[in-house]
Amino acid sequence: MWKNYSKSYIRNNPASGISIMAAAFVATMFLSLLCGTAYNFWVYEIEKITLEEGGWQGRIAGEIDSSDLAMIQNYANVDKAVINEELSAKGDTVVDIYFRNARTIYQDMPLISARLGAGNAAIQYHSLLLSRYLIHDPEDTDPPMLLTLYLVILVIVIVSLILIIRNSFELSMNARIHQLGIFSSIGATPGQIRICLLQEAAVLSILPIILGSLTGVLLSRGLLEAVNIFAADVSGRHQAAFRYHPAVYGFTIFSSVLTVLFSAWMPAWRLSRMTPLEAIRDKGGLQLKKKKHSRLLHMLFGMKGELAGNALRAQKKSLRISSLSLLLSFVGFSVMLCFTTLAAISTRYTYFDRYQDAWDVMITLKDTGISDFDLTRKLQEASGVRDVTVYQKAEAAAILPEEFLSSQLTAVGGLGAVAGIQSIDGHFQVNAPIIILDDGSFLKYCSQIGIEPSLDGAILLNRIWDSPHSNFRYKEYIPFVNASGDTASLYPASVPLNSAEGTEIPVLSYTQTMPLLREEYPNYALVHFLPVTLWEKISGRIGGAWPDSYIRIFSGGNADLADLNRLEKELLQLVGADYEAESENRVQERLSNDSMIEGMKMIFGAFCVLLAIIGIANVFSNTLGFLRQRKREFAQYMSVGLTPQEMRGIFCIEAFVTAGKPLLITLPLTVLFVQFAVTASYLDPAVFWSEAPVLPICLFAAAIALFVALAYYIGGKRLLRCDLNETLRNDALV
Amino acid sequence: MEILKCSGVEKVFGKGGNQVTALNGIDFSMEKGEFVAVIGASGSGKSTLLHILGSVDKPTKGTVTIDGVDIGGLNATEAAVFRRRKVGLVYQFYNLIPTLTAEKNILMPMLLDKRRPDKEYFETIIKTLGIWDKMDSLPSQLSGGQQQRVAIARALIYRPAILLADEPTGNLDQKNSKEIVDLLKLSNRNLKQTILLITHDEKIALEADRIVTIEDGRIIADQRRR
Repeated sequence: MWKNYSKSYIRNNPASGISIMAAAFVATMFLSLLCGTAYNFWVYEIEKITLEEGGWQGRIAGEIDSSDLAMIQNYANVDKAVINEELSAKGDTVVDIYFRNARTIYQDMPLISARLGAGNAAIQYHSLLLSRYLIHDPEDTDPPMLLTLYLVILVIVIVSLILIIRNSFELSMNARIHQLGIFSSIGATPGQIRICLLQEAAVLSILPIILGSLTGVLLSRGLLEAVNIFAADVSGRHQAAFRYHPAVYGFTIFSSVLTVLFSAWMPAWRLSRMTPLEAIRDKGGLQLKKKKHSRLLHMLFGMKGELAGNALRAQKKSLRISSLSLLLSFVGFSVMLCFTTLAAISTRYTYFDRYQDAWDVMITLKDTGISDFDLTRKLQEASGVRDVTVYQKAEAAAILPEEFLSSQLTAVGGLGAVAGIQSIDGHFQVNAPIIILDDGSFLKYCSQIGIEPSLDGAILLNRIWDSPHSNFRYKEYIPFVNASGDTASLYPASVPLNSAEGTEIPVLSYTQTMPLLREEYPNYALVHFLPVTLWEKISGRIGGAWPDSYIRIFSGGNADLADLNRLEKELLQLVGADYEAESENRVQERLSNDSMIEGMKMIFGAFCVLLAIIGIANVFSNTLGFLRQRKREFAQYMSVGLTPQEMRGIFCIEAFVTAGKPLLITLPLTVLFVQFAVTASYLDPAVFWSEAPVLPICLFAAAIALFVALAYYIGGKRLLRCDLNETLRNDALV
Repeated sequence: MEILKCSGVEKVFGKGGNQVTALNGIDFSMEKGEFVAVIGASGSGKSTLLHILGSVDKPTKGTVTIDGVDIGGLNATEAAVFRRRKVGLVYQFYNLIPTLTAEKNILMPMLLDKRRPDKEYFETIIKTLGIWDKMDSLPSQLSGGQQQRVAIARALIYRPAILLADEPTGNLDQKNSKEIVDLLKLSNRNLKQTILLITHDEKIALEADRIVTIEDGRIIADQRRR
């Protein structure tokens, strides 16, 4: 049948062939672009996490000797277990564990720990990295769902794209049921018809699918380069390198080919359920199976409304796909825009507004302990510098007796209620991060909180987030401890506390005031500020210092970008001669961030426009195809005396319903999503609504209405031009 | 030799209260080489009978045997192959494939079987039907009469056991109608082709050897003229 029928069909119906080829090309291109870009963003995210925090999945700490290490390495699911030299100290070995199948990590790690005789406290999970593989702690009732949200949007768009191919085939194939019926009546078997349709589909689609998918790969590469250009100024940013996995290409091709074959197979299947007679009689005209009465449309528009309503109802099934694809792209478009707006508001609130006045220039000293840095004085004396603080961070733990907790904390339910930390034998184990300040800055800090300046003790940041009574966006703090002790005991963070001895240090003061640093402190930790001279005495027993040190610099006055750039450059030159260092300044970072947000907006905006185009293309092609199938129906209307004006009226009513329905469904869905997202992110709804992307959403809605109207205009014009008598009589060219 | 036999054929359309009985206990047979005309008013069930005989529709009840094959027991593929080889169908609206030339349309049943047509027989048919010079034309380039001739040629190409024609002149003018009926008669006489012709035109029916009259889905008269 291919040689004798399909070839001439394709040759004699170029419009149908071209529309299928174009749909296959465009849909596969977007599909490939989308999958390639999503894959690259995912890989980049993992690379970034791995570079910043390491690629380990689980970590275990304690007194681990070589036989213990061998035991971990021999554990069935463990791919690799290596000692983390940086974090390990004498008697406290930290082992990074990499699993073959990380999905069972939350079952495997407690088993490994038990074999070592260590408790669950010795275990640490790389939750951020694991969450990127959609692996969440089964006991975590509120796992991070951002990736899942992205995946849902991705799936919605993929389905929408696949529907483009499906629609294009559906229209072309439905128009041929009559012809296939003739074939059947002269003896073509169902198998022959099926093979013929599949062959045609393959011939028309394979090349566009291959070309489309390759173009999509190239475009996703271009997109990644564009992101790199936008984010070029962002300090310390890991440059994204284009990656591509054959499985992504395989998925793109597979889903496109599958859709094509399925769409081509459908009419053959439909035909197999009809007698050849029914198929021959199928003129693509509208048939209502049950008597219906379009009350609303009849009430609003009279008989024309009734005719339009019945026509739409008769085509409910074929219009369902177009409505669904339009709905999906509109939902995808609106949700993505709202999500981007929310993300931008959130970044602004959590970062820039909070740290606006906490720094001018920051220098990171790579692999340098604070004790090894001796340029503090020189920095302070540099021109244009008002204040310099050098600091390093370290991890430690503290044990707090129950009675040591503040009355306010006890009143709100204690550590269990606030932070989920349970007591063991009347004691709580909490994180006690240490901020080691240069001596000069520590003395100033003493003055800032109103105590006698001294280097002989620590200052404790005595606050904890009152999580039951405030949300993370607008946190309220209460005192952590009762502030009565003169000393505090610190323990190595990674060693089981029952096997470690505490290091006692004097406490100079308990305060709720922090030194001005660009730091965010953990919500449920007891932060200790120490002068470097004290740290040098105790560091051997506690360990846990981060490898890098930081220098926070305030400039002389109201510095603008040029001043800060000059100051940053001078200071970096000064420090960079002896130390490996990276620098950034507040104004430049803000500008870089703004440009990155702009870039992000542009990329997301382009993505949203893409979604819009997909939806509109779908609705346009469907509406046009829908009208093409109805030549006979409108000829019948005309034959009973409907005037061209009345026919135009019917078109207008149908366009109104076709465009209005998806909009009416989408808008409440979008509002529900926004409501959910605003509630989940604890933002003030008024803040979101003042910045809500109402205009682009309205523009998209208007574009949908416009394109539906345009499709009806073009299709209607063609219909009104056709020869009434010829249409009613001659079916040779159905 | 009996080439066609219907026993107790019934056809009901619709369900429940909307049921319409189109055929109600049809018993009917045809001998090889016969030219039978079935006449009846519009809605009498004559087209339904033809569609069932052509295996493009199925009876609700009863059996139809053509050339010794009970067509009710055929599955979709067997029925298609049977139609291709044993039945030639001619419709009022020609039902040609619009994208194929007249020649391809005629040869299609053979091509579906991957068989080479008998060139001599093909030429005899197209010369007899007077369409030998239209073989490269598309259906849209032919007049109604020419399209119907192509449809008859297609129905005859496989030398079917029976040719079923459903109002083949219903869409043609008087001159073309006469020519088409003459061609059918010619194929009946010269090629010994068994023909069942459905018509509501009594004048055309008079050209047949036998006239069967249907009314309300029943045979009310079966008149042999020669």
